[in-house]
Amino acid sequence: MRVGFFVTCLVDAMRPSIGFAAIRLLEAAGCEVVVPEDQTCCGQPAYNSGDRGTAKTLALKVLGEFETCDYVVAPSGSCAGMIRMHYPDLWRDDPAILDRITLLSQRTYELTDFLVNVAGLETIPGHFHGTLTYHDSCSGLRELGVQNQPRALLAKMPGVALKEMVEATTCCGFGGAFAVKFGELSTRMADNKCSHIEAAGTDAIVAGDLGCLLNIEGRLRRRGNHTIQVLHIAEVLAGNVEDT
Amino acid sequence: MQVSAIHFKRSVTEKLNDAKLQNALSRLQTRFVGGRAAVIDEIADFEASRTAAAAIRDCVLKNLDQWLLRFEQQATARGATVHWAESGADVNRIVAEIAARHGVRKAAKSKSMVTEECGLNEALEAQGVEVVETDLGEYILQLAHEAPSHIVAPVVHKNKEDIADLFADKHHLPRKTDIAELCREAREILRPAFLSADMGISGANFLVAETGSALIVTNEGNGRLVTTLPRVHVAITGIEKVVPTLEDVTTLLRLLPRSATGQSITNYVSVLTGAKGADDHDGPEHFHIILVDNGRSSLLGGEMQSMLRCIRCGACMNHCPVYQNIGGHAYGWVYPGPMGSILTPTFVGLENAPDLPNASTLCGACGVVCPVKIPLPDLLRQLREKQMARGLKSWQEKIALKLWSWMARHPAVYALSTKITVRVLKYAGGREGLLHRLPGASGWTDGRDLPAPVGKTFRELYRQGKRS
Amino acid sequence: MSARERILARIGKSLSGSTPAEIDAYLAAHPRGPAPTQLDNLVAHFKERAMQLSSDIIEIADRTTIPAHLARYLAERSLPPRGVCWPAFASLPWGAANLEIAARPANSQDLVGITGAFCAIAETGTLMTLSGPETPPSNSLLPETHIAIMETRRIIGSMEDAWDLLRDEYTVPPRAVNFISGPSRTADIEQTVTLGAHGPYRVLVFLVSG
Repeated sequence: MRVGFFVTCLVDAMRPSIGFAAIRLLEAAGCEVVVPEDQTCCGQPAYNSGDRGTAKTLALKVLGEFETCDYVVAPSGSCAGMIRMHYPDLWRDDPAILDRITLLSQRTYELTDFLVNVAGLETIPGHFHGTLTYHDSCSGLRELGVQNQPRALLAKMPGVALKEMVEATTCCGFGGAFAVKFGELSTRMADNKCSHIEAAGTDAIVAGDLGCLLNIEGRLRRRGNHTIQVLHIAEVLAGNVEDT
Repeated sequence: MQVSAIHFKRSVTEKLNDAKLQNALSRLQTRFVGGRAAVIDEIADFEASRTAAAAIRDCVLKNLDQWLLRFEQQATARGATVHWAESGADVNRIVAEIAARHGVRKAAKSKSMVTEECGLNEALEAQGVEVVETDLGEYILQLAHEAPSHIVAPVVHKNKEDIADLFADKHHLPRKTDIAELCREAREILRPAFLSADMGISGANFLVAETGSALIVTNEGNGRLVTTLPRVHVAITGIEKVVPTLEDVTTLLRLLPRSATGQSITNYVSVLTGAKGADDHDGPEHFHIILVDNGRSSLLGGEMQSMLRCIRCGACMNHCPVYQNIGGHAYGWVYPGPMGSILTPTFVGLENAPDLPNASTLCGACGVVCPVKIPLPDLLRQLREKQMARGLKSWQEKIALKLWSWMARHPAVYALSTKITVRVLKYAGGREGLLHRLPGASGWTDGRDLPAPVGKTFRELYRQGKRS
Repeated sequence: MSARERILARIGKSLSGSTPAEIDAYLAAHPRGPAPTQLDNLVAHFKERAMQLSSDIIEIADRTTIPAHLARYLAERSLPPRGVCWPAFASLPWGAANLEIAARPANSQDLVGITGAFCAIAETGTLMTLSGPETPPSNSLLPETHIAIMETRRIIGSMEDAWDLLRDEYTVPPRAVNFISGPSRTADIEQTVTLGAHGPYRVLVFLVSG
């Protein structure tokens, strides 16, 4: 299986270790992983801001870069959701492109969904030891149905004790540009999420989207919590929690 | 109702810091969210019901003119008078004329959100007609001169102490402390109003084309009282509320109370057809039905038509994390939450409610619970597209988007810019690895730190052959 | 052009439109939507639901025992032994139970109102009443106590079944079809459910199996 790895702009800039962890997992599952060099952004920030034109252009760019892969996998429900659920709509008026983009979208997966439902990863390389709670990122959950997959993978790790938080599926308040445009509201939503996380009393909080994690970590540290680890599911599963 | 949606951001600050409101809003979680989840299980196949309900609504919208004509024909044949109102002002004028024609001095009213759009109460009062709201929540709002903050639970923002104070002040009776006592007091104060009203005004949750009937759901009994006792009844509702058959309305009724309040059925469902017969003791002598457009037809045939499926259950706002944190008044008009963020700009103009479509993370919780499968997040995004197309975005946002767009299309520039940016941010984060301030992004850093990046991008590391 | 014409024109312009014939066909078929869960025991299910919604239920086989049951029910609650009933129930032995029941529509002074019901819906524990000269809805609305006399053979499964029954027995619906599912209630104050808003405070259903 030739998997095109969609690194995502946030992982690329803010936490490359997530990218390497994801690749490690995909290779452990027996995939050949390629990383198209010129990839930049899936277009979701533009799309959600109402800039359909930019989103269309970037969709075409992604198509060109990933079309020859058997699968496209992203360590993000947000970006995978964008490609899978919204790319066809963006190009619905152009039948030739629509066909190609539909094929691309059907082959695009969020990381944990791919590992469970396509690659069938059985042995998890990671060796996390401790308690963790899981935040269900909105796009992954509601656009792609990602909920059982990360939990199924974590369940295969003997050192992991998963404790569910109250309101795991409630939005953390990130929402891309929303976090800056409606900062006070976004901070309140993040604060509510942090309270639920702390109430779960775990060593770590884990999620599948770096946007959520940056938001959650940002609020945790500002409100004085410097102990709880904030980790991407890929990092926990791959056994790699060191940055270079 | 006056539109104040332009002050959304300021209202948000106020509401986030309103401790009493925050406490009141937490009740929504238990009652409405938890309640709904429990009763949805009663439906054999919930998703199939949603699909059927959406199909019924779409079937009507596709041929709305034909269905309205059939409704009008049936209703008229049964003895009702059907009126058509293009705007809120039209509604007010029609009701005032009906009132004048029948010598109405006092009207008893059960809840109608459409009449809030029109400002009907004020218009009637200006004509010398006394209007008494009888739904307990609306009555409380009338006493307090406030607007509803939720389409189903209008005084969710008030606690019992507020209401006890209000009643003591306005009724001039000893202050009650118990919710049941407060309800009893309201009942006794309002019962004479029902009995002495010349006209009953109601909404209609649905209009049944098959029989020409207006269908009203209530729990309190005030809906039955205002449509039975006074000699004139006026039912006012939107043109999109028509439903083909009794079976169709039943499919919708299976979803409406469950989605709204977590009830399997509302205490009363009244299906009203025509005026009282010669031998009837009870019932209005004159039954008027007003079909209201007021901007609804502008959604037909367009990309946002699905918004007209709405059955006003309130599930979207109950499940919306934004609504849960700020309540309904911040939205600045009749309809709050996700459905309000779509209807308000549509009805009053996008330029008068520019923040509403953007005050959402597009988390999708609303779309999942909507009983008629309105793609609410998609509609919010479409309004953002309209803002973009009409140049209604701030210059900062326009520039940021243009810049991002250009960079994302030019990988070499993108790679270089990100390499520089992450080094700068890493440096700014210091030993802590946290940024406490970020120029241009105070919306983030006022309340949160930003974890600093590691200082190298994935792409540069990958290219260097690093594996971790 | 009137407002009506303008609205219809605006609507028509936006839609591809259909013919009245399609409307006729749909109305003639009046298809049902997804069916609710099949119920095994309609009477038991109705009882369970009605009681969950705070109605009181008394099961009897002989209608002539109703006055005695009602007299006891009212006395237990310190309610006056007086009320009104639909004409169909005038001949029950009220006097023998020391109850003053007048066969007329309720007014604002009446505290007890006795009605029958067209049928009852087991799915939700709901009574369906139809307005008419002999069945004034005020009897189930104005008094604080509503007494409903129901035959168990008229308990049906769903609201869809109720519409079929209505179509069988009526060519056009009566002025008011009222579905009643217990005492009136409100949760407007702090989302706390309180029984007894503007309608009756209590509902007693006699289930007559005879």
